[in-house]
Amino acid sequence: MPPVSVSPGVAIEQPALTQLRLEVRAFVADAIRDGLFVPHVDTWLTRWDREFTRELGRRGWLGMVIPTEYGGQGRTFLERFVVTEELLVVGAPVAAHWVAERQIGPSLLRFGTEEQKQAFLPAISRGDVIFGIGMSEPDSGSDLASVRTKAEPDVVDGVSGWRVTGTKVWTSGGHEADAFFALARTSPLDPAHRHDGLSQFIVDLHAPGVEIRPIISMGGDHHFNEVHLDGVFIPDNRVLGQIGDGWMQVTSELGFERSGPERALSTFHLLAETAEAMQTQTLPTDTGVGRLTARISALHQMSFAVSTALQGHQNADTAAAVTKVLGTTTEGDIADYVDLLAPPGRAADDALHTLLHAAILQRPGFTLRGGTNEILRGVIARGLGMR
Amino acid sequence: MTTDTTDLSTLAVPVAADPDLVGMMTDLFTAYREARTAPDQFVVFDESLWGQLEELGLTRLTAATESGGSGASWLEGAALLTAAAGAAAPVPLVEHGFLAAWLLEQAGLPNDGALRTVALPDAQGQANSVLYGRHAAAVVALWHDGAQWRVADVPAARVTITEGHNLAGEPADTVSFEVADLGAGAVVRPEVRDEFQRRGALARSLQNVGSAERALELVLTHVNERAQFGRPIGKFQAVQHLVADIAAESALARAATDTAVARAVESDWADPGVPFAVAAAASCTGHAASVIVRNAHQAMGAIGTTLEHELHLMTKPMLARRGEFGTVHEWDETLTAMAVAAGREGLWPLVLTGTTA
Ligand SMILES: Cc1cc2nc3c(=O)[nH]c(=O)nc-3n(C[C@H](O)[C@H](O)[C@H](O)COP(=O)(O)OP(=O)(O)OC[C@H]3O[C@@H](n4cnc5c(N)ncnc54)[C@H](O)[C@@H]3O)c2cc1C
Repeated sequence: MPPVSVSPGVAIEQPALTQLRLEVRAFVADAIRDGLFVPHVDTWLTRWDREFTRELGRRGWLGMVIPTEYGGQGRTFLERFVVTEELLVVGAPVAAHWVAERQIGPSLLRFGTEEQKQAFLPAISRGDVIFGIGMSEPDSGSDLASVRTKAEPDVVDGVSGWRVTGTKVWTSGGHEADAFFALARTSPLDPAHRHDGLSQFIVDLHAPGVEIRPIISMGGDHHFNEVHLDGVFIPDNRVLGQIGDGWMQVTSELGFERSGPERALSTFHLLAETAEAMQTQTLPTDTGVGRLTARISALHQMSFAVSTALQGHQNADTAAAVTKVLGTTTEGDIADYVDLLAPPGRAADDALHTLLHAAILQRPGFTLRGGTNEILRGVIARGLGMR
Repeated sequence: MTTDTTDLSTLAVPVAADPDLVGMMTDLFTAYREARTAPDQFVVFDESLWGQLEELGLTRLTAATESGGSGASWLEGAALLTAAAGAAAPVPLVEHGFLAAWLLEQAGLPNDGALRTVALPDAQGQANSVLYGRHAAAVVALWHDGAQWRVADVPAARVTITEGHNLAGEPADTVSFEVADLGAGAVVRPEVRDEFQRRGALARSLQNVGSAERALELVLTHVNERAQFGRPIGKFQAVQHLVADIAAESALARAATDTAVARAVESDWADPGVPFAVAAAASCTGHAASVIVRNAHQAMGAIGTTLEHELHLMTKPMLARRGEFGTVHEWDETLTAMAVAAGREGLWPLVLTGTTA
């Protein structure tokens, strides 16, 4: 019996990928210099910039894994991986396209109808259509299968479809988005088969019956929303895949969602700014920076290796969960670590405090979003055969 | 170009040792472990295992063939060290095969293959905690004569050994050399000192990955079998979380360590990113040991604290090893110096490649 390991292995990046990295790196360096954006933390959630997103689309850095016949670039998850890393580490404003890029596009490709693919994928690849995720509800967080949003069959003007009613919450960017995927019950909960009877709907957030209310975060930002669906009519052609497949759909792309580079890099720019502050002796030199840099380096390797495994169609669910637990913990530890070192200050004082305060305020979300670390430890335990 | 037609090998190449050789080593050490009698307080050198390893060409696996080694890469070497550590094999594979043999190669000195260990004596010629010193036919010393570094291959008959044991109960002896013997050693490049340290630290990290993965295995078996409150303790979420964190930290340690090995092997240690990668491996593995050792003992309960139980054969060496070729703190200092020199723009390239270029 080989020793127990949930390690994803090691893969070496080849020159073609490195070349792509350098192109992106040169672009963002120019963008920062030209004032297109100011580097920040957790930008994949908090920094919306449709124009920046469209610029990435023009450069071929959106829709990278979408085939060319749907307006995408027809490239690989690994190429997408290095592009997203380079954007994340400088804290570029990538929130507008993040959800569409990471999960909506791949889900549509896998489960969508031909008409849906034609309708959305080219626009996603240009950065012209922005998506949100409507999974969580006031009474359904970790226990996602308990969602109560209901969809009932209906016919409007001869068009058959569904009436969707319920409340979605924590919808990141919902107030800016054009559409979201809403997970709803299409048949009553069967306690013996809780994952059955769920379906996903592609909901136009400007449709009648949709009401979006802001939820302000503790730092005063508005990225969360509560989305009320009051009998919103969804035609059959906006059902994702088959009715009843919702659970399979929301769990099938989790490997990519969980192991992505954003799960460790939300605060990387703060770490870089801290190294800079030590170089200029604005902060005392302390070994925590080396320790955390090493950890980030190992996490980069794990995340890259999981992507390599997934690109090769291998299952990496447990390794992905491990990568996310470690990554989200570490990115939060960076915020806390810098807080232990930095003298008191105001966000407006300097870049370090701007980043630090944002990181501290965003940190609680790191280990909650996308499946909490407690839930993920359960996934790891299952992978180890304990459950 | 579409996703399914791109040749993935142009993008990323998975790195792995020869699976047949790995399988052979795993079988060998599993058999060894299963046949072993109850652990003792002190680790006793196993001469017969050493003989077996000799015959298989594993005692100097990574040493050059010209000097009698097997000429394998550190990828295979890594598999050997993790497998041996997972079986708590009481043999000086690192000291003899990875370090002494390499030092002799650097010095251009012959190697007759007799058991050797390594020492870094002080100016007076004394070295503490020399592993397996009492068993060595010769001790290879790396010594600074005040001006340059020298390597001396000193026969056991010319040193004085005072026996001792480290935290793990391994033979860790004080070796006193004649300064004249050290001074007669061959002069080596000044870089050999740091390279020696890196090889030692990476070898220790690899051993610790092997011990961590075996500790995880022991804990998993235990929590699935041990019942309290009418069910296996592994069904309790608190216990599952202890174990999940062992698995996670072990995976992190392996990622950091395997990355360093891959970078070293690809470039025969010449890649300028090797020092960062080795430091990162030592740091990640060293800090991982804190969580792994604590959680493993916690999940195992009182039985895991006994001499009779195998767990301490994993946990004690993990703690003993992590400070041996530079403390974890010193590796963090090294990494910090690199990170601070890299600064804002250089930190990310450093993370990726170990250099700021
Ligand atoms: C920044 C951010 C962005 C988000 N964006 C979106 C979005 O765009 N769309 C969307 O649909 N959702 C979004 N979410 C919601 C997110 O998916 C939920 O927060 C998450 O699933 C947890 O649900 P909850 O917050 O209701 O916490 P709960 O599920 O109530 O959990 C609270 C605590 O209890 C623990 N817990 C719960 N169940 C168990 C269990 N079985 N075992 C052990 N511990 C348990 C949890 O780990 C946690 O510590 C976002 C959340 C955050 C923080």
